[in-house]
Amino acid sequence: MTDEALAVTQSLVEDFAERYLESLGGTIEKRGDTWEVTIPDNEDTELPAGSLSLLCGADRDEDATGESLHPESEFFQRILREATERHPTGKLSIEADRDDAEIPQWIKEGDVEVREAQFTPYYDRTAIVVLFEVSIETVSEYQQELLRAIAIDHRSEQRLPALEETFLQMTSIPTNGSPTTTESSLSGSDARSLLGTAQDQLMQSIQNKIDEVHNEASRAADAEVEEYRQLQQQRIQELEEERSKLSSKIDELSETINGSNQDDRVEALKKRKEAKAEYEEVDAELSALQELRDQGFPQKQEEIRKRHALDIRVTPLTVTQVEYERGEIDVELAEQGVSRTVTLGYGSGIGTTETVQCSSCDSVLSVENPLNTIKGSIRCRSCSSSNN
Amino acid sequence: MGSYDLVDVEVTHESADDILDSLSGDGAEEDHLQTIQAVRLQAGQPDSELRSLKELDENSVKLLEHQVDAAYRALFEMDGKALLADEVGLGKTIEVGMILKEMHFRETDESVLILTPAQLAKQWQAELREKFGLNFVCNYDDEFEDFDAHDYIIASIDTAKSERHRQTVLNRDWDVLVLDEAHYVKNEETDRYDLIDRLSYNYAFFLTATPIQNELTDLYNVVSLLRPGLFGTRDVFHQYFVNSNQETLVNRDELQDRLNKVMIRNRREDTDIDFTDRTIDTRTFNPTPKERELYQAVSDYVKGAYSQDQGQKLVLMLLQKEVVSSPVALKKTIEKRLYDQSELTHADELESILDLIDEIDTVTKQERLLDIVEEARDNVEMGRVIVFTQFRATQQEILDRLAAEGYTVHAFHGGHSSSEKELIIEDFEEEGGVLVSTDSMSEGRNLQFCNMLVNLDLPWNPMRVEQRIGRVHRIGQKRDVFIFNMALKDTVEEYVLERLYHKIDLFQQSVGELSSILSRLEESGTSFEDQIFDRLVNADSEVDLENDFEAMAVDLQEQRELADKLEQFNNGVFEGFDLGEGDD
Repeated sequence: MTDEALAVTQSLVEDFAERYLESLGGTIEKRGDTWEVTIPDNEDTELPAGSLSLLCGADRDEDATGESLHPESEFFQRILREATERHPTGKLSIEADRDDAEIPQWIKEGDVEVREAQFTPYYDRTAIVVLFEVSIETVSEYQQELLRAIAIDHRSEQRLPALEETFLQMTSIPTNGSPTTTESSLSGSDARSLLGTAQDQLMQSIQNKIDEVHNEASRAADAEVEEYRQLQQQRIQELEEERSKLSSKIDELSETINGSNQDDRVEALKKRKEAKAEYEEVDAELSALQELRDQGFPQKQEEIRKRHALDIRVTPLTVTQVEYERGEIDVELAEQGVSRTVTLGYGSGIGTTETVQCSSCDSVLSVENPLNTIKGSIRCRSCSSSNN
Repeated sequence: MGSYDLVDVEVTHESADDILDSLSGDGAEEDHLQTIQAVRLQAGQPDSELRSLKELDENSVKLLEHQVDAAYRALFEMDGKALLADEVGLGKTIEVGMILKEMHFRETDESVLILTPAQLAKQWQAELREKFGLNFVCNYDDEFEDFDAHDYIIASIDTAKSERHRQTVLNRDWDVLVLDEAHYVKNEETDRYDLIDRLSYNYAFFLTATPIQNELTDLYNVVSLLRPGLFGTRDVFHQYFVNSNQETLVNRDELQDRLNKVMIRNRREDTDIDFTDRTIDTRTFNPTPKERELYQAVSDYVKGAYSQDQGQKLVLMLLQKEVVSSPVALKKTIEKRLYDQSELTHADELESILDLIDEIDTVTKQERLLDIVEEARDNVEMGRVIVFTQFRATQQEILDRLAAEGYTVHAFHGGHSSSEKELIIEDFEEEGGVLVSTDSMSEGRNLQFCNMLVNLDLPWNPMRVEQRIGRVHRIGQKRDVFIFNMALKDTVEEYVLERLYHKIDLFQQSVGELSSILSRLEESGTSFEDQIFDRLVNADSEVDLENDFEAMAVDLQEQRELADKLEQFNNGVFEGFDLGEGDD
């Protein structure tokens, strides 16, 4: 399960399947857990035209006929596969409710009452939201799959994290406020350019995750290299011992050759020749190993590190053009008979676009340090509490 | 952390051409919302849930939240390689049972090897069969051939590493390896460590309540077997996580992060396990003079026969146990021996023992048992009592006697089929009265409706005693539990009961504590039963015998204290670490 994925429950499966089948022009007649479905001829789908019984849930009687509809059923997997490929682009409009603008957290968390908030839109803006699938793979770690939404404003090419949140809320199931999507009006070149920006922003947003896996993988590779090094060192020691044994053996045999009769000498000469050949073999292996050790086993290191390398695959799955409104909100605040109206830059789906400072200490008002009073001037909680 | 070279990172951005092509499509994008939702649903495929849970029989196993959570994390968050390090008594075996059940359900368990200390192998086998319906062959079974002849094997780790089997074990690619009491592989210079290090497997689950035995390097060794490289090299681990005096861990946050990837440790205080009280009533009775004479004759015979032929150990042990259970049990064995083996030495001695048996008209334990069931009839719901005996002959005699006295009785023994057993338990629950059972009653039987248990005779294997008690005093028992132990004065039973079992507080041990003591004991290489028997036959005098048992008790107590200390030490080391249930 990834971060922006939806948990696949039976009710979501049924909700989605119902809407999908209807979008194909199909009809559904529900009888308890059994749906009688009729699918018309439709070039958009490979589902067979005609009637079909769907049995909801994983429990089914032995003799029941028809397709199962549950999170793991083949039928559901099939419509899911079909739907993911059907309309990867489109347009979504976010229309703000004029009288129900989103109040910034620094006011909500504060001690001042909000009488009214009204949004006045001035112009429409366009952004795109891209859903990316990211897979991070390496041999020593579990493969990680992420699904991330990245929103980029068309004009400024700035990332809009609040719009990402709104997008995810609007596209969850059951669908909030039944948004409708239409055909995207973005040109191919605009879309491509924004997609590039979104990719860059995506990589920035997941950099910590990548670093974490990267460090783990590097550490695992390092441990493997170290183990290999130790193993080779052990082998070097064994070879050194073997070489020294062979050397002594050759010395002994030389002595035998010098001081014995012909038969023994011939036998000893033969043995010495064998021992020398063996000595050379061991010596060659030892020298080669020592040389490799002195160089730090470059080839092996490379091989190990290559095997532990991270393979990151980024796949854009959907591109949504989002139209939203920008303008201002007037927030009327009241505190013990005193009232004051604050006007802030605002966008539908993205909330306020401006910050406000405490008139006393100049610090930016925030959730942690919210508005405390409007008497006299706008002041934050820390200023007010230090005055008390 | 020590320095290391970073490996390469290759990022591939898949082409978006296909998607962007659809911008100039046919204008049917009103269903774009569905595609977004389909993409989000596809990413949330429920491939990580315990699908086998609903297959489990609730009567056989009651799962606790922390156990389900541990199984889930081990399988899906730790990539099937985990160190299950719950505190003692929280059901690590159950966690592994669930994991194996799930793997079986998903058909990812073509070959499974479970390695345990020798004393626990059979218990593992029984638990997996009864609670999870998983059938394993144990290396102590007659049908066991070798490690390449079966796909689901439970074996003692020492059998697996033995000269005879080692290569066969290593030649195989195992799907799953389970290692119980994993702290015994902490030392990288031992054959055990070497075996695990060389074993080839896809998934591994190691169990221990005390991953650290002597020094913090133990943790490195055990974890590195599971996840090589998680802590980097040994040197790096030492420099970075262990302070120089070896007693405490430093850089704890990072260590916890790393451990969280491989280790699960639930603490008792964080779970909802709550046992009711247990009252132990041990009653020791004076045997009649005839009974005493019989006991002496049997003990002398056993001692004499053993000194001449140690090959008869098992049957002699049996006689020694039977004489304190009932004369009738003893009689059956002796008769069988006399009539089946024509060239038996000491036949005359056995004949005279038979005469002594015939002379006994009052069996003390039986008489006293009547007192206990009488008390139960007055004080316990529906007079339900379970009486355990090791022997069928004793069981039959008690059943007859109780029935004659007007009690409702039920018999339970290994000869019944599964469905008969079910029926017996149901009858016992509905009708009440006395259930007389041999030790063949399975772990999985749900007997929480009864809260009174009598040990008419006592197994010399403390695990057996724990299993008996575990059948009534388990999670789900709502009432206090009463346990009566019956023993005859000045007999081996009294020694075992008074000097050994009471010394280690056997009857008050929480589930699981005992296995850690026993597996420590096993490190010294002898079984509990053998130790008792050896002491019995080798003592030169009564005083000697008493001293011998005293020495064994001291030894046991030491093991217990060591086990306690280790548990405390590990708790201290992991204090403040959150390695238990996940946040969600």
